[in-house]
Amino acid sequence: MKYTTFNQKSVNPLAEPMFFGNPVNVARYDQQKHDIFEKLIEKQISFFWRPEEVDVSRDRVDFQKLTEPEKHIFISNLKYQTLLDSVQGRSPNIAMLPIVSLPELETWIETWSFFETIHSRSYTHILRNLFSDPSAVFDDIVANEEIKRRATDISRYYDDLIFATQLWQTQGEGVHTVNGETHEITMRELKKKLYLCMNSVNALEAIRFYVSFACTFAFAERKLMEGNSKIIRLIARDENLHLTSTQHILNIWAKGKDDPEMAEIAQECKEEATAIFLTAVEQEKEWAEYLFQHGSMIGLNKDILCQYVEYIAVQRMGAIGLEAPYSVKSNPLPWMNNYLNSDNVQVAPQESEISSYLVGQIDSSVSGDDFADMEL
Amino acid sequence: MSTPPGEVFHIDVIDVGCARSSPDKTLLESLESASIDIHFHCREGFCGACRTQLLEGEVDYTTDPLAYIDDDEILPCCCVAKSNIKIKVPL
Repeated sequence: MKYTTFNQKSVNPLAEPMFFGNPVNVARYDQQKHDIFEKLIEKQISFFWRPEEVDVSRDRVDFQKLTEPEKHIFISNLKYQTLLDSVQGRSPNIAMLPIVSLPELETWIETWSFFETIHSRSYTHILRNLFSDPSAVFDDIVANEEIKRRATDISRYYDDLIFATQLWQTQGEGVHTVNGETHEITMRELKKKLYLCMNSVNALEAIRFYVSFACTFAFAERKLMEGNSKIIRLIARDENLHLTSTQHILNIWAKGKDDPEMAEIAQECKEEATAIFLTAVEQEKEWAEYLFQHGSMIGLNKDILCQYVEYIAVQRMGAIGLEAPYSVKSNPLPWMNNYLNSDNVQVAPQESEISSYLVGQIDSSVSGDDFADMEL
Repeated sequence: MSTPPGEVFHIDVIDVGCARSSPDKTLLESLESASIDIHFHCREGFCGACRTQLLEGEVDYTTDPLAYIDDDEILPCCCVAKSNIKIKVPL
């Protein structure tokens, strides 16, 4: 079906599925099929922040004091995070907007991706402060084999879905030959690709960020690179919200609360979904090994980091009804919670108490009592 | 029907122990003051890390929970007990 930026057919968005229904026409939010996405948009907007608000100038001095293995850990993590947010800043838009059918979900996807671009901007903010020319760091992201290997796996499911959607929207269902390769496009296959892509994104938001987060916060525990840690705390808070959104999408499908065909696919692809998650876990563990190849840092080593990855995998897989083959019961890095607690995320002084202080502060109702103690 | 202010309820945590609810504390804080540590991250209802099974009783949310929870689950970080409750936390 050809995509149109304003579908002139009258459609009832309350009866549309999340994806692969009619293209969205009117961006209306007074009614929602799945109101959770409207709530997520509001929450995400209340989290708005700018990298420049965080002073990272002291980090430069701290960075000079780090040992060589620690510098390797710090910079490698920033490279990996830059890769992740480069992908996330564009891919949900490119892969999901052409096939989304609900206005509130369409806007959630745009809001979500927009915040990922703030994250990307903050990595530049951090690196520009550490190096007079950060080009070498950025250039290595597309040269470094360890990072490239992860990039392949992260972008694969997106690319698959995007390509199939393009074929479907230009040529429709059927068998198409492009550059000598045949592709069979059916709605079922498209939905399956979407399901796997959503699982891959969910695993990315759930697992892939956390080894780097743990390293950042381990530096902060030693009072090092604290500007960077403040930024990563803001990023972690956003990523937590993004994770919640993909968990909702997957659960809405699996519980049959949206497209019934997606519920079937969720059943059918359970093993593949589990494999996507477990691959992400294994790759994160390998990443921990790469980080610590020249030596570990105080308070953190490869083993404890791998245990932490397994520990959060149990929680995250449980949230989408998958069973995790790990037995880590207690949190191996309890101090991580202090950094992931949203009340400890400080942007401006007025926000230090309640992060949602912007909401509902302007009251339009004025009663006679409001002027009671006013004299002329 | 609203709960009279200041009422204290019994919280039974299966296989772990018991706690008393405190009207000015979230369920998570009540559990923590009884030294029952459960998993948490955001403490604001959007991450879902504290997802807990509610077996008996009722809770009231102080903040609208955004994280995904099943019909029999609650988010202790943003609710208070409305009656005596029985919960099961992942061990």
